[in-house]
Amino acid sequence: MYKLTLAAVAVIAVFGLTVQTFAAEPEKTSASTSIPDMSGIWQAPYTPDLTKPLGHDLPYSPLGLERFKNVVHADDPASYCLPVGPARGIQAPMPFQIVQSPGLAVILFEYQHTYRLIYTDGRAHPADLDPFRWFGDSIGKYEGDTLVVDTVGIGDRTWLDTAGHQHSDQLHLVERFQKVDAGNMKWTVTFEDPKLYKEPFTVTLPLTKQNTVLMMYSCEENEKDRGHLDATKR
Amino acid sequence: MQLVHAKSLWNRRIYTVTPKCLGVLLALVLLFSAVPVFAHHSFAAEYDVKQPVTLKGVVTKVEWLNPHIYLYVDVKDASGNTVNWSVEGGPPNSLYRLGWRKDTLKPGDAVTIDAFRAKDGTSTANARNVLLPDGRKVFAGSADDGGPKATPTK
Repeated sequence: MYKLTLAAVAVIAVFGLTVQTFAAEPEKTSASTSIPDMSGIWQAPYTPDLTKPLGHDLPYSPLGLERFKNVVHADDPASYCLPVGPARGIQAPMPFQIVQSPGLAVILFEYQHTYRLIYTDGRAHPADLDPFRWFGDSIGKYEGDTLVVDTVGIGDRTWLDTAGHQHSDQLHLVERFQKVDAGNMKWTVTFEDPKLYKEPFTVTLPLTKQNTVLMMYSCEENEKDRGHLDATKR
Repeated sequence: MQLVHAKSLWNRRIYTVTPKCLGVLLALVLLFSAVPVFAHHSFAAEYDVKQPVTLKGVVTKVEWLNPHIYLYVDVKDASGNTVNWSVEGGPPNSLYRLGWRKDTLKPGDAVTIDAFRAKDGTSTANARNVLLPDGRKVFAGSADDGGPKATPTK
């Protein structure tokens, strides 16, 4: 009877320890992989002209200045419902949703109903970037309260903004999504493009949490501007 | 119903506003101006800021569709001929968040729309403010597309 009691106590002790271990596991995991919670729907103030938040003109290279001076607004890829690119999607006045999972952060844009994948699993950019044109390839890492995102391979067909600032296939973005508090983030993006801009330039916009849901947006559903735009081309 | 140049219409507008009405109007202004809407194209690429028009007429069709809503309005020109204008508004999602619904305007409704004409000379315009049949004046356009934010009559 004594042996049986000892065995029962041992079983309970082991079981208890096991339960305690399982109970403690999520805390340990959570603490070791703690990342700022950025999930939810966010929106930046609409920024159709990057010179406004920058406070001055963009640092054009001679080629960049020539391209901007001769821009044909009717050629804006967004006018033709083409993808707007990683930064201009955030600059748009439509909300976007951030979804975080282990190794991946996803940005779901209401504008054009498209998305960005930001790999946070430690991988490097792929050697062949061609399949990732328009939104590019994005890799990220968490640094405290900030998600730092590095994007290359965007190609040269998107524009930086509606004002007609363009970029080359050398465009490289570094974005910092910094969590300020439950309802606010700070988005800082550095544009580096040695072909069209003689030095990198950095723009910061506030992101505010939105009490809304993402709605459907189809740019092609009833697009009627194209004919008028073509008619006004210089 | 006739096409009236913006300046002449401004001189003729008379509104009677009671305190209760003022409160309702203030609430509506706040509601309809809280969220910026935009176009997926540059305003200047399609519309002429130097050609403001006020379109006073009857709605014949509403297209509550992406990427922009379109209002079709029969407007009489100076010669008395009826012209069906195509008036572009903001995206339905943005307008929905401003308080618009797809039945805010219906065929048969009398409206006055402050707008800007298309550069190509067609009877196409970009809406800014719409005076609804019930007297509400609401924003319907693309506030931050590079086009003017104020109504042409101001």
